[in-house]
Amino acid sequence: MKRAALPVTALAAALALAGCGSGQGAGEPELSVSATYMPQPVAADMAAGFLTVTNRGGEQDELTSVSSDIGRVTMHSTSGGTMAERTSFAVPAHGRLVFRSGGNHLMFEQLKQKPRQGQTVKLKLGFARSGPLTVEMPVRSATYNPSTGH
Amino acid sequence: MLSPLAPRKKTLAAAALLAAAAFTLSACGSGDDSASSPVSVVSEEGGSDKAATVLDQPFAKPDLVLTDTHGKKYDLRAETKGHPTLVYFGYTHCPDVCPTTMSNIAVAMKALPKSEQDDLRVVFVTTDPGRDTPAELGTWLKSIDSRFTGLTGDFATIQAGARSLGISVEPTSKDKNGKTVSVHGTQVIAFSPKTNGGYVLYGEEATVDDWTKDLPKLVRGAKP
Repeated sequence: MKRAALPVTALAAALALAGCGSGQGAGEPELSVSATYMPQPVAADMAAGFLTVTNRGGEQDELTSVSSDIGRVTMHSTSGGTMAERTSFAVPAHGRLVFRSGGNHLMFEQLKQKPRQGQTVKLKLGFARSGPLTVEMPVRSATYNPSTGH
Repeated sequence: MLSPLAPRKKTLAAAALLAAAAFTLSACGSGDDSASSPVSVVSEEGGSDKAATVLDQPFAKPDLVLTDTHGKKYDLRAETKGHPTLVYFGYTHCPDVCPTTMSNIAVAMKALPKSEQDDLRVVFVTTDPGRDTPAELGTWLKSIDSRFTGLTGDFATIQAGARSLGISVEPTSKDKNGKTVSVHGTQVIAFSPKTNGGYVLYGEEATVDDWTKDLPKLVRGAKP
């Protein structure tokens, strides 16, 4: 677990620099969303989506809903080849909720049309405490790998 | 890879820098921060550097006789004998891992010389034969690579075949919300064209780059 130390330090430094200026009490979740993408799906009516919700606040929050115009969206966790639908995911204080390929994922069903690489899918994320966030999710190639960026 | 650790370290440092940059930029942001995808790398480090696991004791190719996407009988051993063969157990109503795994192989395969592409057999065996009819499977695989073979049939036969390769799958069932749940294998098995034994395993985290690097060896039955 020595590996984790470096990014954490870097993040801590970044957080210190990135203060918003407004009076942020430690008791509020402060959410932002990054690393969003949808691999161009193979199936015509089903797709997966990934993103990271970061909480810079001192209080935890919970992702309770995801919706989109393009179809039904549900949240899933995956373990050992089985996925299970979940109604919420915690976003820990000073922590992150990560949806990534092979793990937690958003599942899009009953798509009105097949998303194509280069398009953008609009999502609305609902939280237990914070206000909703609107996210633009780019459609990447079917084999997109966020760690290499292609 | 003379020193497998060095490049990994470099990646980490780069990821950390990118993540730091992303955070700085995203302070008070709208939440749309899609350009900063490397952020997700940071906590995902771990595991081995190599996608491939070479087995000391190769698996025998399962004696599977199923139905292909044309509705014809397909005898796995007979049809793939002497060919480099990749076998994966999955299902088409799978949003994430199954299409990614097959798409990664499809992209990497195109980097092989034509004759080797023709020699390679990529076999997708459904774990959800109730929904994956030959026609359904055919449509799905065609949008990945029309040369891939899709097999469906009796679940017990499929499950036994998977089990003989150390892959555990369960029949499709309904969860407590009445939602249909299927199970996919988490590994791709590479069979040698020389011995027909399954001698290399790939986890679902294997990338296009991993496959591109390893396929030229796998098509010769060499160790990656």
